Parts: sequence; C-alpha cells; structure tokens
Amino acid sequence: MIEVQHLTKRYGPFTAVDDVSFRAEKGEILGLLGPNGAGKTTTMRVLTGYMPATEGSVTVAGYDVFANPIEAKRKVGYLPETPPLYPDMTVREYLTFVAKLKLPASVSKAERVSRVNGVMAKTNITDMAKRHCSKLSKGYKQRVGLAQALIHDPEVLILDEPTAGLDPKQIIEVRDLIRALAGEHTVVLSTHILPEVSQTCQRVVIINRGRVVAVDTPDNLTRQLKGSATLYVQVDAAGDDAAAVLSGITGVRQVSELDRHEQMVGFEVAADTERDIRRDVARVVVDKGWGLLELRPLRLSLEDIFLQLTTDESASAPVQVQATDAAPAVAAHESEQPHA
Amino acid sequence: MRNVLTIAGKELRGFFASPMGWVIMGLFALLFGYFFLAHLDYFVGQSMQAQQGGGPVNVNQFMIRPLLQNVALINLFLLPMITMRAYAEEKRSGTIELLLTSPVTDLQIILGKFLGVLGFYAALLAVTMLYIGILFVFGNPEWKPVLTGYFGLLLMGGCFLSVGLFISSTTKNQVVAGAATFVVFLLLWIISWLGQSAGPAVASLLDYLSIVWHFDDFGKGVIDTKHVIYYLSFITFGLFLTLKSVDTERWRG
Repeated sequence: MIEVQHLTKRYGPFTAVDDVSFRAEKGEILGLLGPNGAGKTTTMRVLTGYMPATEGSVTVAGYDVFANPIEAKRKVGYLPETPPLYPDMTVREYLTFVAKLKLPASVSKAERVSRVNGVMAKTNITDMAKRHCSKLSKGYKQRVGLAQALIHDPEVLILDEPTAGLDPKQIIEVRDLIRALAGEHTVVLSTHILPEVSQTCQRVVIINRGRVVAVDTPDNLTRQLKGSATLYVQVDAAGDDAAAVLSGITGVRQVSELDRHEQMVGFEVAADTERDIRRDVARVVVDKGWGLLELRPLRLSLEDIFLQLTTDESASAPVQVQATDAAPAVAAHESEQPHA
Repeated sequence: MRNVLTIAGKELRGFFASPMGWVIMGLFALLFGYFFLAHLDYFVGQSMQAQQGGGPVNVNQFMIRPLLQNVALINLFLLPMITMRAYAEEKRSGTIELLLTSPVTDLQIILGKFLGVLGFYAALLAVTMLYIGILFVFGNPEWKPVLTGYFGLLLMGGCFLSVGLFISSTTKNQVVAGAATFVVFLLLWIISWLGQSAGPAVASLLDYLSIVWHFDDFGKGVIDTKHVIYYLSFITFGLFLTLKSVDTERWRG
C-alpha cells in the first residue's frame, strides 16, 4: 500500500532523512518511532506529497507521489502535527470546505453532506458542529483534524503525533479510534511515545537522525533484543548466603543485589532463556524458609530498546536489561524521552 | 475550476467571518467618503464660478475622474492589509499543509486565493458606488466613463493584489508581508518621478512601468488595449512569481 524506497531529504547541507526504506501493507498500522527531530515529520510530509524527496521514491496506493501527486493525494488523508483548522470557520463549515477540496467533482452535494455527517459521527464531534474551530479544546481540535483526514475515505491515513498534547482519556479515545480505522485504512502514525507503539501499531519503524535503525513488530523487537530471561526476586528474612543460594539454581547465570530495605532484599536473577527458572526459585526460597515477597520477570521494555537503538554506538552492542526496574509503561505517556 | 472557486469562496468568507474584513471595508468607505466630500466641495465651487462666467463644468471630468484616481491612494494603504495574510497566515497556522496535501494543484490554490482577494476588493469598490449613486440622483453624469473607471480600478487593484500575494507567499510573518507590500506598491507608483529628470525615452519607459499612470485613460472613459494588456500581464506575472515562490518553498521545505 505504501512503499518508500531509499528516501532522502536534504534541507541545504542538512540531511533530515537519509536513505529510508520501508513498506506498509494494506490495513496495517505502522508506527514511525523516533526522538524529536529524527525525521518523522519530514518522512510523512514526503509521503503526503507536501514536499518532494531529494532522492528516492514513494508510492502510495499504487501512485508515485511525485509523478502523480493529485491521484496520490486523493488516496491519502493527512493529519499534521497541528491540526490545520481555520479559526474563523465552524466545524461544519470547515469539514464542508475540506470535503469540497478533497472529494472528486462528481460527488453530489447530498453525498458530501452525508460524508461530513458521517465523519463527525465517527470522530464524535457532532455536538461541536456549530462551534468555531478557534473555540475548541485541544482534544476536539485533534478530532476535527482526524475527521478532516477521513473525509474522502482515503486508503492511507498519515497521522503525525495524533495523541500529542491530549489528556490520558483523550489519548485512549484517539488510540481506539485509530485501531478501529485500521483494516479498511492503512495507517502510518508517528510518535515519540513508546507505549503508544506497543499498544496501537502492528509494525514499528524506528528512526534516529534520519536513518532507519530497526523495523519489526513491537513483540519481535522486544524478544529479539532480549539476550536472557531475567527475574526480579524480593525475599524477606534471608540469610547472607541468599545470593549464593540463588546462584546455585540450575540455569542461573548471574545474581546481583538490587535493593535492600532492612530485612527485605531484592535480587536480579539472570538465566538462560531456554529454561523457566521461576518454579525453582520459588521452591528454593520456600525451602529456605524465607519470605517470597515478589517474583516477576524483568522485561526489556520498548523504552530500553529504543534507548539502546537511538543512543550512539550502543546500537549494535548486545542489549542488557537495565538494573533499574522496568518502568511501568503508563509512566511514559506524557513524558518526553531524555534524548528528545 | 471548482477547486479554484472553493478556495476563492473560503478566502472571501474568511474576510467576512472575522472583524477584519468589515473594518477594512469601513475604513475604505470612510476614506472614500472623505475624498468624495472634498471633491464635491471643490466641484461645487467650480460650478459657482462657471455660473458667473466661463464654460459649463462637467461632473465626470471635474469630480468623478479625480475621485476615482484617489482610490489608487486608498489602495496603496489598504490593499496590503488584504493580501498580507493570504499566505503568511496559512503558513504560520499550518493550514497550508491542508491545502498542499489536498488533491489540488498549486496553480488552483493561487488562482483561488487571487479571486478571493479580488472578490473582496470588488466588494470594497461596490460600497463606493453608493457615493457615486448620490451624484446620479442629484445630477446627471455620464455613466459610461464611471463604468470604465471602475473597470480600470479593478485591474489596477488586481496588479497590487497579485504582487501582494507574491510577497505574502514569501514569509510566515504578516507584518513583514504587509510592510513589504506597502513599500513595493509605493515604489510601483512613484517610479515615474525619476523620469522627470531623465531623458524623454527613459521617462516614457518609467511612466509605462508605473501602475497608476495606466489608470488615467480609464478615468477618461477610454479603454485602451495597451493599458488592459499592461495590467493583465502584470497580474499574470505576479501570479507566476507566487507560483514559483510556493514551488520553491516546497523544495526547500
């Protein structure tokens, strides 16, 4: 559905996108993930025909965006980072204007009106039809922007940071909407928020400094980069030999102490991937008469992968589980990446 | 063509949906009204003198023609305010992304915007016709020179607007666009001043370049193809520059 080949975009001497290639199949949600300034927006702008590529080709729904811009644009709905609303228009006026621009001339007025009503219902903005765009909250602006992108029922939807600046409830709504749209539409969305990718996207393209550093499903990325299974074990009233005892379990490669609060000690236990050592660990702890307070796998979160891939040099180095607790995914919702 | 009209309609509605359009229209009418009054006063004085001796004075020649010429002066100040936001505002707010990613060509967008601002300018001129109407109620002017005069004003305004559109397409900043447009308008007007000290060949060339000089004949009731062609080619050139500017902007990003 979308085919990007060796796309390069330079602004004068600055290379914003460098030899990027990827493809998106019909009906899938593809996430472009990368820190701010990685070239996500530039890539999307080339995809939508907003600007031409310096080198390389982009085919959308069978049309080359540079050779056949009008045909390609008919197949694409685009939501830029800031929803392109005209403040003086009401929501209905605005959507009608966009419908006139984007629908072919053969579409009748009645059909146009029903399209406008349709997208307003789909994006849940019917109540706001008579409100001026300048008076809308950020969440509604985003939805009107989404409605605008959907109005001509495009095969491809390109969404630049669709959840940026929304509150958590709105984020969930927008994500649900995007997931609902996949299937009939092919969706490309960009984000620098990692949980968004694991929750919405079927495939991820990680971009850093204009280059693609990884393309895969979120699950595969997590699995592939995980060298070993690692557990977090917290025990109570253990003796000083606890670390040694845990090391004695078959398959355990390494044990290190992470934290200690009086009697409670937390260990990170790394083991070979082939063997599930959780039962063994639990049994040993119980046999020893310690209290087992916590036993859970330390997963390499997408965050860690992302940091690994987008931090210099370390990209090719084997990924190690960070000593720190894998942060719950929700915590990163609104926070910027340290590399942004 | 439908796309052009859609965009033109959006531009035109943009003027009337905000106070800006009404304010500009009010100011335009105010200035025109002042000029109207001043010229009427002068004309009445002339008529008094004419009654005491000398030939009859013609309302077209002594009143309407100089009055319409004064519109050029109002244009100089107010038309930059019409065009300055045309592109600059869309670029600043990001709505340009909507236009440039819609299945319309750059030329359609530009023609649409031009027709939109020209339509608003025509609305401004339409308001001034009320004043001229007063003369028809109380006097007996010829209507044909009035019509050619307005035709000339529309063409002259079109030139200013096409240049204004071009300047607006080069910047995100409305104030910069407005100021630059004003300066360029002024230069295009006073370019003929230099001719007075230069030789006759240069003088006629500079006269030819001056936007306002071409209006003279329209005011007299003459539609000279020379002037029509000048204005039309000027407008085309302005729109061409806009097209190139938008295109360059795309490549530079």
